[in-house]
Amino acid sequence: MRTIFLFQESSSLPYTLRKRLPRKLPKRRNDVYVNMKTDFRAQLARCQKLLEGGGHREICVHGLGLAINRAINIALQLQASSQGALQLAANTSTVELVDDLEPEDPDEAGEPMTRTRNNSAIHIKVFYPDAQ
Amino acid sequence: MSAAKVKMREKKMRNQPASVQYPSSSSNVESSTQNGADAPGTGKNADPLKGGLSEVHPSTERQKKTPHQSGWVRGHHKDGGGYTKEMPKYVTAGAFARARAAEVSAMLKAVRKTTSSSRVFEALPKHMRRRAMSHNTKRLPHRLREVANRMREKGLQAGSKKKKEQAKSKSRKARRRHGNLLLEFNRRQRKNIWLETHIWHAKRFHMVKKWGYCLGDRPTYKCYRACYRAMSSHCLLQDLSYYCCIELQGDEDKLLAALSQLTSKEAGPTFAAALCLSGRRQGSVMVYRAGWYPSQPLGPVTFLWRPRTQGSVHRQLWIWAHPTLKQDLLPELQTVCQCCEAVLPPAAPVEVNPTLEAESEPENTPEAKPVPGTKRKRSCKDATGPPAKKILGDGTRLRSTPVSWRSSSNGIVINDLTMEIVRYRLIGPQSHSVLVDTLEAATGCDEVPKSQTCSLWWPQHCSDEAKMTLHQQQADIFNILKGIYSTAELPSGTVLGLTVDDPRLTLPRKRVKALPCVKQAQEVDEEKRRKLMLEGVPEPCCQSFIWEQSVRDNVTDNKISEQELNRMRSEVLVPGSRLSPTPLQGRVPILLVEQPGKQVGHEMSSWGAGWDLLLPKGWGMAFWIPLVYRGVRIGGLNMSLKHSQNKAAPHFPRDYPDCPAGMRFQEEQEAELLNKFKRHPPAKRTNYIKHGCVAPFCCPWQQLAEEWEIIVREGGTQTRTTAQADAVTEERTSQQAISITKPPSRFTVLRNRKALKLLSAWCRPTTSKGQRPCRVGELPPISCEAVTSFLSAHAMSLVWVHVSLPSKGKPEYHAMLCVPTPDDLKALGNRQGTGGPQEPPHRDHFKGRIKRRKKDPKKAATPSVTPDKPDGKKADLIFASDLDTNASKDPKSFSESSSDLVLGLWPDPLPSVASHCSRVTVGWVTQGDFSMSAGCGEALGFVSVAGLLNTLLNQTSEHKGKLLLRNPTSLHYRFAKINIEV
Repeated sequence: MRTIFLFQESSSLPYTLRKRLPRKLPKRRNDVYVNMKTDFRAQLARCQKLLEGGGHREICVHGLGLAINRAINIALQLQASSQGALQLAANTSTVELVDDLEPEDPDEAGEPMTRTRNNSAIHIKVFYPDAQ
Repeated sequence: MSAAKVKMREKKMRNQPASVQYPSSSSNVESSTQNGADAPGTGKNADPLKGGLSEVHPSTERQKKTPHQSGWVRGHHKDGGGYTKEMPKYVTAGAFARARAAEVSAMLKAVRKTTSSSRVFEALPKHMRRRAMSHNTKRLPHRLREVANRMREKGLQAGSKKKKEQAKSKSRKARRRHGNLLLEFNRRQRKNIWLETHIWHAKRFHMVKKWGYCLGDRPTYKCYRACYRAMSSHCLLQDLSYYCCIELQGDEDKLLAALSQLTSKEAGPTFAAALCLSGRRQGSVMVYRAGWYPSQPLGPVTFLWRPRTQGSVHRQLWIWAHPTLKQDLLPELQTVCQCCEAVLPPAAPVEVNPTLEAESEPENTPEAKPVPGTKRKRSCKDATGPPAKKILGDGTRLRSTPVSWRSSSNGIVINDLTMEIVRYRLIGPQSHSVLVDTLEAATGCDEVPKSQTCSLWWPQHCSDEAKMTLHQQQADIFNILKGIYSTAELPSGTVLGLTVDDPRLTLPRKRVKALPCVKQAQEVDEEKRRKLMLEGVPEPCCQSFIWEQSVRDNVTDNKISEQELNRMRSEVLVPGSRLSPTPLQGRVPILLVEQPGKQVGHEMSSWGAGWDLLLPKGWGMAFWIPLVYRGVRIGGLNMSLKHSQNKAAPHFPRDYPDCPAGMRFQEEQEAELLNKFKRHPPAKRTNYIKHGCVAPFCCPWQQLAEEWEIIVREGGTQTRTTAQADAVTEERTSQQAISITKPPSRFTVLRNRKALKLLSAWCRPTTSKGQRPCRVGELPPISCEAVTSFLSAHAMSLVWVHVSLPSKGKPEYHAMLCVPTPDDLKALGNRQGTGGPQEPPHRDHFKGRIKRRKKDPKKAATPSVTPDKPDGKKADLIFASDLDTNASKDPKSFSESSSDLVLGLWPDPLPSVASHCSRVTVGWVTQGDFSMSAGCGEALGFVSVAGLLNTLLNQTSEHKGKLLLRNPTSLHYRFAKINIEV
């Protein structure tokens, strides 16, 4: 939550910025959403477990914004530790995010607004190539 | 032999045949055989000491003097129990048998006859006994069954003579007959209001009577974690119908003018906030007594404006308040709106009859009781009359109580809609999928002959073109909900009006889990979905017919009964398929209101968002069961507390100590906790005095605020080292105890947004790892001048803080929040692993007094010796100062109220609460637990503003906002981080 100043046509009113959560598709078992709060090793271990113990032939690692870097890191680490058995296929996309702006001054004039902005995301498919 | 022994022996021999003595050992039998033949009785072994007994065999009396023979004698025998060694030479069979015939027959008789106290199965060894053996004789071994049956019959005959009369009128079958059951339920509802889902809840929940309602507290099965999981990943359902709705009607400007006295813009958006006023959003606001803004708060309410109808300034407003708040709020609203004329409820004959019936009939039953024979017939007669009606709405209120008030001057009308509207809350990211699955927008009805005047509301609406287009729009928007994946995607507080089909028609045959469907989601128009996400529901679609009293009544009266519905289901050709055509009565106007999730803080944002479902009364169960069949979890009061805790939102009335409802809650809680404490045996109680916990059950906020105000006023704010400040603290508090302070103003909770923002910025560490430097525009940095000016306005305030424990520790309610000393902070910097400092144990000097009083109640009245000082340097200091001042007056007051002394608790005039322990206390926790969303202990509590600022001034920027937290039952301080969230 931050206070920002919007310069509108009439006056500059302080607004409180509140970010909504990014839109999330229903998760399959082999989807891994990477974030910056969880420990890196824990996330890596989770992916490895899915590939080895979980019996999945492929997993999807998703990263948004700041976590893109980490998602790539995880995917590369997985590949390196598998001695070349795993392959990667990366896709990038743009995610639309919604912010709520609430007027700090609860005057009737200041109306809550919403604005959208875009952020980049990466989706990396980590998979064992088929035998043929 | 003593008299007791004689008595016991008599008891033992009670069932023995009168003419027979039993030998104690076989050797005696042997010895008697010899004599048995010629002289019966000569060899009889008789106890010489047994002469007093009446059943002594006549033949033995002659033998009394034979000292060496023993019969029924217990214990030591004087003669050493010598027996005759003579063996008989021969035995005459006939004489021998004859002599014993009497004994044998007596023995057989004794064996057959059971005493009244013992049952047949008692003869069985333990491992052969079975549960409920006496009830079901078939559980007995076959050989014992007959006896058992006989005994049972005998028992029944004996019992039935006394119980017969009562049992007849109370046969279970009769009691459970629908009409009688209903009467019984109606009788029980007259004291506490039952929600419509009461029976459902009562079967599954621990029920508590609170605030005049019967509410489910927590389920009887174990589901704490499952409920948390439901809240964070699926959906949790709660019945919030106990919330009271107050309706205000009148011109917009007049309403706003009246209501503006109750609120202040400084504490956030008011009733006049533009988006709420249009009816598109639900608003929430803190209500104060009219014109009293910073002091005398009443409590938080949520409100909902009905969207404007075109060309009319007449508006309708619903204010939703907690039941404990209603008794304060309603009179306040009446004075503000000048509504003093009570409008008597119209005596509609349709409504009055059933309730009269319901009230009069239970009175009939006791009359009938004395005549048991006729009772059953009587009740049959009753049943043939107009049947008792289920109580819908408030059953405790008298008929004549006004529920509506009108103002003659400004035309505002206040209606009390308590229990008129059912409110369900769905919490969790998937609650919209549950709703979409359960509800279906109402189908139109085309085949209705227009000439026929229909009493139902829906056919009338169908004939109106404008209403149908609106309905179509609402249905479209409702269908867009299929395309979103999380409830939090929508703008918070969105309102959507809708008319839906009876959800019982589409009830799945088995319980299923409602999940979002990707396929369905992709069908939804992307553009429309985006518009909904950004702008919310357009204004006309927020309209719903639930706002209209007439439609609500119509829908409630014309609900299809469950029985009728089942009959219709049974007539469907394909079993389990949907009923078609939909019966005309099955259209219900509803209102959906989005509830925002966690809005404060950086982590777990919008956790616990959900939807509220508002229904007209009477339809509660018709919607409840279909919702339950969509795989939701059900939570009780307990879960709503956890919900607000995880959301870091204050929970009413627990976290509003300055509101009247909050004060009442505190008193109740204190009494309850004290009772529980006293139920333990004294040796098993926690000695809170030894733990240095002054107030384990009730937080003396007023005293805390006063103490800190004095500390700060008399120089605590000057910048000096904390140690010095602490010393000052102690001095001041000790002085304060003597000096009679000026008539104290009441403490308040700081709710001014600007002030809170400033405080929040001051609490944040400025240069810590992982924390961005705060970008608060022109907020002044913390300094002496700023603090002094701040305190001049808010010295007697408390502030609501969110506490998180980064390392170990699970906070409990009434845990103390204390100021760490510089040494503590240094230790924290050196080794992260250290758990925190320890409080030196205190001495309980009241213990001796209690003991003495117990020994000699008279002596206790004399004043006692000066109490021992607690250990620890600092505590010593405090106590010395404390007791010097108190010692003169305390013992007297204690001896006067010596009956109040409870082992382990401080008696009533509490010592200084701020400086009682080695670390200075600034506040207490009101609720705390291990937070499953954060993975560490989290608590919510209040601290004194003066104390907090004093602490912050002395802390380095690195350790800003670090406090210590100590549970009442522990001596261990834990480090805690406080956040003030706006």
